[in-house]
Amino acid sequence: MSSFTNMASSATGAVGSNKTVGWKGLANRRGARRAAIGLILPVMLVLYWWLASSRGWLPEQILPSPAYVYTTAVEMIVSGEIAYHAGMSLRRVVYGFLFGAMAGLSLGMAMGLSRTVDDYVRPLFLAFAQIPTLGWIPLLMLIFGIGEALKIIVIAKGALVPMTLNTAAGIRSVPANYVEVGRALRFSRLQTLRLIVLPGAAHSIFTGVRYGLTHSWTALVGVELLASSEGLGYLLVWGRQMFWLDVVIVAMIVIGIVGFVMDKGFDLAESYLQRWKRGEA
Amino acid sequence: MFSTILRRTALAVFTVSLLAAPARAAEPLTIHVGYAAIGVDNRPFAEGTSAATARAGEYLEKEFANDPNIKIEWFFFKGAGPAVNEGFSNDQLDFAYQGDLPALIGRANGLKTRFLLASGARKPLYLAVAKDADIKSVADLKGKKVAYQRGTNGHLSAIKILEANGLSEKDIQVINLDSAGTVAALTSQDIDAAFGDTQLINLAAKGNAKVIYTTKGQDPRYGRNAGIIARQDFIEKHPEITQRVVDAFVKAAQWSSDEPNRAALFELWHKSGTPVPILEDYFSNDTLAYRNSPLIDGLLVSQYQEQGVKAKAFGLIRREVSTDGWFEPKYLKASLEKLGLQNFWQAYGADGKPAGS
Amino acid sequence: MSVLAALRTQNAVKIRRGLTLPVLLLIFWEAASRSGLVDARFLPSLEDVFLTAKRELVDNNLFGELAASLFRNIAGFVIGSAIGVVFATLLALSRWADALATPSFNGFKQISLLAWIPLISIWFGFGEQAKIVFVAIAAFIPVVLNTYEGMRNVPGDLIEVGRALKFTPVQRVTRIFLPAAMPSIATGVHLGLIYSWLATVGAEYFLAVGPGIGGLIIAGRERFDMALVMVGVIILGLVGFLLNRLAAAGEAYLLRWRVTAH
Repeated sequence: MSSFTNMASSATGAVGSNKTVGWKGLANRRGARRAAIGLILPVMLVLYWWLASSRGWLPEQILPSPAYVYTTAVEMIVSGEIAYHAGMSLRRVVYGFLFGAMAGLSLGMAMGLSRTVDDYVRPLFLAFAQIPTLGWIPLLMLIFGIGEALKIIVIAKGALVPMTLNTAAGIRSVPANYVEVGRALRFSRLQTLRLIVLPGAAHSIFTGVRYGLTHSWTALVGVELLASSEGLGYLLVWGRQMFWLDVVIVAMIVIGIVGFVMDKGFDLAESYLQRWKRGEA
Repeated sequence: MFSTILRRTALAVFTVSLLAAPARAAEPLTIHVGYAAIGVDNRPFAEGTSAATARAGEYLEKEFANDPNIKIEWFFFKGAGPAVNEGFSNDQLDFAYQGDLPALIGRANGLKTRFLLASGARKPLYLAVAKDADIKSVADLKGKKVAYQRGTNGHLSAIKILEANGLSEKDIQVINLDSAGTVAALTSQDIDAAFGDTQLINLAAKGNAKVIYTTKGQDPRYGRNAGIIARQDFIEKHPEITQRVVDAFVKAAQWSSDEPNRAALFELWHKSGTPVPILEDYFSNDTLAYRNSPLIDGLLVSQYQEQGVKAKAFGLIRREVSTDGWFEPKYLKASLEKLGLQNFWQAYGADGKPAGS
Repeated sequence: MSVLAALRTQNAVKIRRGLTLPVLLLIFWEAASRSGLVDARFLPSLEDVFLTAKRELVDNNLFGELAASLFRNIAGFVIGSAIGVVFATLLALSRWADALATPSFNGFKQISLLAWIPLISIWFGFGEQAKIVFVAIAAFIPVVLNTYEGMRNVPGDLIEVGRALKFTPVQRVTRIFLPAAMPSIATGVHLGLIYSWLATVGAEYFLAVGPGIGGLIIAGRERFDMALVMVGVIILGLVGFLLNRLAAAGEAYLLRWRVTAH
């Protein structure tokens, strides 16, 4: 999904600020009672779904029965299909994301540390960032074919833009007097970077990682829909073409769960990082 | 407390859902006809079937030329047969040309359709390999990247060919591509081989691929079938219109089966973007009447039954699918009588031999 | 005076630097494709791209394709964000609606946007409707998230004022919550606009073929016409840029009172 979260937030002058919620969760914490109420709607939906399909209100080709979806899910878990396709997708995301994030981190640091580099690179970078990741796929397909390389590159591109922009913005946001302190302490350049600049930019970089991961995940589904023989996105295409709505729904749920786990994992990592930051201060 | 807002919200949601509700066909009637393929560069035309003739020759439009209230709208699907099923499940299509596997998949999933007449029922399938690939026979496909479009009649036919050569889908790397995507991938040698028809002959003619196998002239059981499918609701609601639509398709089939029309026929199909010489090749050694027969004969019925069994055995359909009561030859029979064509086409028995009358 | 001059030169330096890479890139591109250093199939000459753009514009109704894309983009965006604002207002202001529906919404939004494609195409078929619904979902999610957040962060004393003035619920929404949450809503709508453009491309790739820039790009790939793909990609970028600018300007206009309030 592209790059644009950052573009948008930078347009409002708030890169990495918590004003922009992006795809992050709505606040919802008031204990068990609330959780129970929150379950009412899904339970009712499933109940309605079950009733509707067993009474034939909803034709099967529009929505298969929940029991059928459940059976399919169990079958696919037991047969290892889910693990195989999810594994393929995750592997692609990990590789692609790592490449993209590393590149974004380096580029963002260069842009954040040096005005000159920023002046040279930013306009071209922003121009490229305007094009949704999905738009790049056919072009990259012509160059790299439909193999594994294409997938990794597309996913990396998804991570690159938010990582670069947030890293640069984070480094820029480190107050000049902190750097002065470092100078007073006669820190070497590397020390200044490691002990002052990077910790100061950590929050923003983290935001970049989060958006980067979300964008990578969406890019993955996109590229697997277009050209792939395995992975969760492929499962979607496969189910669609064979008219297996149960498989489609199972794939959607797995995609949702993976997204959820990544999100939550991120919240945990971030709060851990914050604690560590506070502990150090 | 916020009941006013709630009420207004409900109203807004209701209005929006009304706007988003599927547009129902109102008077005057528009007949929506789907075609499970699309021309070169997405031209809204096709080739190789009597349905393609009906489209390019405007047989349906002419049939209803004197009924200003009835309009014909054609839809061509890059997503082929599976996309036609999506159209049927939304009542967006009334008639469609569709291959055997997707029609059976639709039926297995509860789509209420009927099979009215055959069209393009004896289309062969070709296997082409990339220009530099070292693949000489079907058996050499083992472990190779092979493209076809999943869920189409070519898919089932491809599996049957693989099976006959001791392979299964698991022994190859299946790349799911539509016709245009196959051409691109085979040209750039991203894949090793592909199953398909005219697009592959065309590619081979340009020297960008080699055709190494075809079901043409082989046992018809390796081939694939197709026909005109209609939505049951539509038939029940408009039996006379259905009859006239079938009449038009039968007339198109007749014209497409007349040998003197061979050159004109290919010229007409050329609207799809497929070059005439390719079509000549595609139809070489076949009589037009054999390929364009609309008959629901013993061979066709047994073929569909067998395809259903095979599809289940290969795991393409996960429930038994029965073709009982699905074929609706009534309209075809009436057309043949009306047009005096009862003996125009040779019927074949389930054994593939001409049936005695 | 000298400050102004300095600023001017500073800006000039910035522009010069900013243009350096793009110009170098273009020169390299042209040199590479002309000299045959890079296969012209992968890197068509600038002239080729320009001629393709001209051909598409003059002979092939490029504007029609663009208009088709923009239409479904705007239609989906308007529907999605309108429903989004209403839905989020409901969640944020009614404790019951919040407890009931927010967890479900949070689950719903976890499903990656493109994963909706198969269900949407099966539920809505091949018409324009399916594409618009897909675009609407794309706009809906960020609008809900940001509107909700904004409404939740309305200062307590403002709400008190409303209570003191005995505002009706409708007045409370229109006079207090909506204006106070406006910055957040604007952010949400801005994001919604960007996501809906992405979704427009996705819909044109994965749903039935029809006119549109996405379809143009796919057709270019299938014909191995890199110049056509590039023309399409450039248009995607330009439209994305303009939408972004438009949204930013709209945001600034809507929020102009904030500056004077300070």
